Amino acid sequence: MLIFAISDKGGTGRSVTSGNIVYRRSLQGNDVCYVDFDFGSPTVGAIFSISEAERGTRRGGTHRYLQGEVAEPHRIDIWAESDREGLRVKPPGAGQLVLYPGDEGGGEFPTLTEELLRQCVRLFSRLDEEFDLVMVDLSAGRSFAAHLALAATARLPGVHSRWLVFHRWTRQHIIAAAGLVNGERGLLDVGAEHGHDPAELADRVRFVRTAVLEQDSAELAGLRPTQLAWLNDCDRELRELSARHKVGRTRMLGKVPLDPVLQWREQLISDEDVLASQIANAGTVAAFDDLAKKVVDDNAWEGL
Amino acid sequence: MVGEVQTGLLQNSGEIPDSLSTELLALVRGERVRVFRRPIAYAVSPDRLTGVDCHLASASGARVRGVGTVLSRASVTGGRLVQGSSQVRVTRGTSNRRLAWSHYMARPGVVEVVGKARAADLAGGFTLDAPPAESLDLGAVSARFVDVVQSSARLDRRAPFRMARTRFRWTAEPGEPDVRLQLRGDNVRTLRLTLPDPFAPGVAELCEDLALHDWLLTALIEIVRRARPGSVARPEAAARLAPAIDHILHLWMPAARVQDSLLHVWESLEHRPGFTRQWQSLVNRVRDHVTVALLTVAGGDGRSGD
Ligand SMILES: Nc1ncnc2c1ncn2[C@@H]1O[C@H](COP(=O)(O)OP(=O)(O)OP(=O)(O)O)[C@@H](O)[C@H]1O
Ligand SMILES: [Mg+2]
Repeated sequence: MLIFAISDKGGTGRSVTSGNIVYRRSLQGNDVCYVDFDFGSPTVGAIFSISEAERGTRRGGTHRYLQGEVAEPHRIDIWAESDREGLRVKPPGAGQLVLYPGDEGGGEFPTLTEELLRQCVRLFSRLDEEFDLVMVDLSAGRSFAAHLALAATARLPGVHSRWLVFHRWTRQHIIAAAGLVNGERGLLDVGAEHGHDPAELADRVRFVRTAVLEQDSAELAGLRPTQLAWLNDCDRELRELSARHKVGRTRMLGKVPLDPVLQWREQLISDEDVLASQIANAGTVAAFDDLAKKVVDDNAWEGL
Repeated sequence: MVGEVQTGLLQNSGEIPDSLSTELLALVRGERVRVFRRPIAYAVSPDRLTGVDCHLASASGARVRGVGTVLSRASVTGGRLVQGSSQVRVTRGTSNRRLAWSHYMARPGVVEVVGKARAADLAGGFTLDAPPAESLDLGAVSARFVDVVQSSARLDRRAPFRMARTRFRWTAEPGEPDVRLQLRGDNVRTLRLTLPDPFAPGVAELCEDLALHDWLLTALIEIVRRARPGSVARPEAAARLAPAIDHILHLWMPAARVQDSLLHVWESLEHRPGFTRQWQSLVNRVRDHVTVALLTVAGGDGRSGD
């Protein structure tokens, strides 16, 4: 199954959240891979603690592969190659965890050529053959990468693909996320251009709220009752707004609480971070775990 | 002689009939797909040529240029496994510069070295862990053939399990018979053969047969590892082992199409590392586990533990 991670704005937590989902899914026993299609700023190496590919690889990543410059994109086995000691032990029962980084220095593509498209179809098809879940991190906004992914999946009707839209829990972000999917030149528009059925495509889109401040969270413990009441009102307004924009609960796959560790660093949150060093919140891991299950659970993706 | 075979699981929920294999393998217009039914269904495409002009990897790192054509074919075995196979015979060129293409087209599957090179140096280069970029990559050629078959709209893409392709690189040199098989990372295997007649037409078929069985063994090991019998509840492990029983156990048919004169290579690998021995022991483990799981379910005791 292919999962595409998109967001309207940059810095929403798309890469960190989708990286953690993939990590959790592999702990749950699936063979998974993470593919960096954020050609302009390929930085997911940092999330998986691969210093060699912190800003993309020099050994032929996704960008050069798509241009036909290398026969195989550089492949990194996280369980073997991560610089983080805690990640270098594959727990019993865990599946493969593989990263396909972008290229150092990045670079965009001038136009969507037939050759490029074919190469992309080939890549998706090969990865789907090998992995239970293939997470593709597309860049922010109405990107070339998203175009390419829509065009490629239209040619792979037999391959399951799903779309995750990441957004923060604010007015601007809710409206922007809705626009990215339903708006002009949005996902459904462009998808239809490439031969997708918009209604069917819409059923394969879910939203993920990132860095959400929950009403009962410890961060809010010191607030005055008037402040809490005000926050409560804001939250209700946002819920109404999101329902009006078709980003409401029914289309939401899950939400991730604001986490102190992630606020400081882009990284995978291990059980160790919660249990032993206690720097991360258990709720964050639970949210990633839940997303990792739902992303492949057909019940969570039933037509609305 | 050098070659690379890529082997993978056909992206379809069930076994495909011969007629569909034939359709998928009709890569060359006008030429026929050959189909064999015994001892196992096997369909193979006509040979196709790819022109190359590139560096050849050498163990010493010396820069060697080769020009010629790669001979490739795709095949489907048991309606379940797909292979892409490419080979070339590397020969000393007659000239120090590149000749007209007609010269190379008249020698299908031959790559001529432009300049000087030693055979052993080239064989060593081909089985390197990471051949230098931009050198002759038979794997890339073979992978394309597998891609063509896998991308057919006639396949439903609902394969019973996910499995990586294996890449089986081989070299055959003249000499006293000797067989060296190595398993490397990233599902790469290298086989170095020395044979009295390394150019015999059956050598590539032998390597395809070995690659197929190596894939089967690799896949079965992986399925057992994923099922974790002994660590998870029996019915659950049994359910994860079931695809092996349904889809791959019956495909084990060593040396099905290997010429008599080359059977000794299979026999030597049966001796060490002992392909069939390991396969049989895994098969027994899978069958026993599933049988016990069925019995305990029937007896109303589904608890875990071995
Ligand atoms: N749940 C969270 N709690 C707190 N901070 C978070 C959370 N999720 C992500 N962040 C932080 O937000 C910042 C942006 O995250 P990330 O890099 O994943 O965003 P992105 O959408 O991929 O950005 P870009 O578009 O630039 O690639 C990072 O510093 C990250 O650690
Ligand atoms: Mg990012």
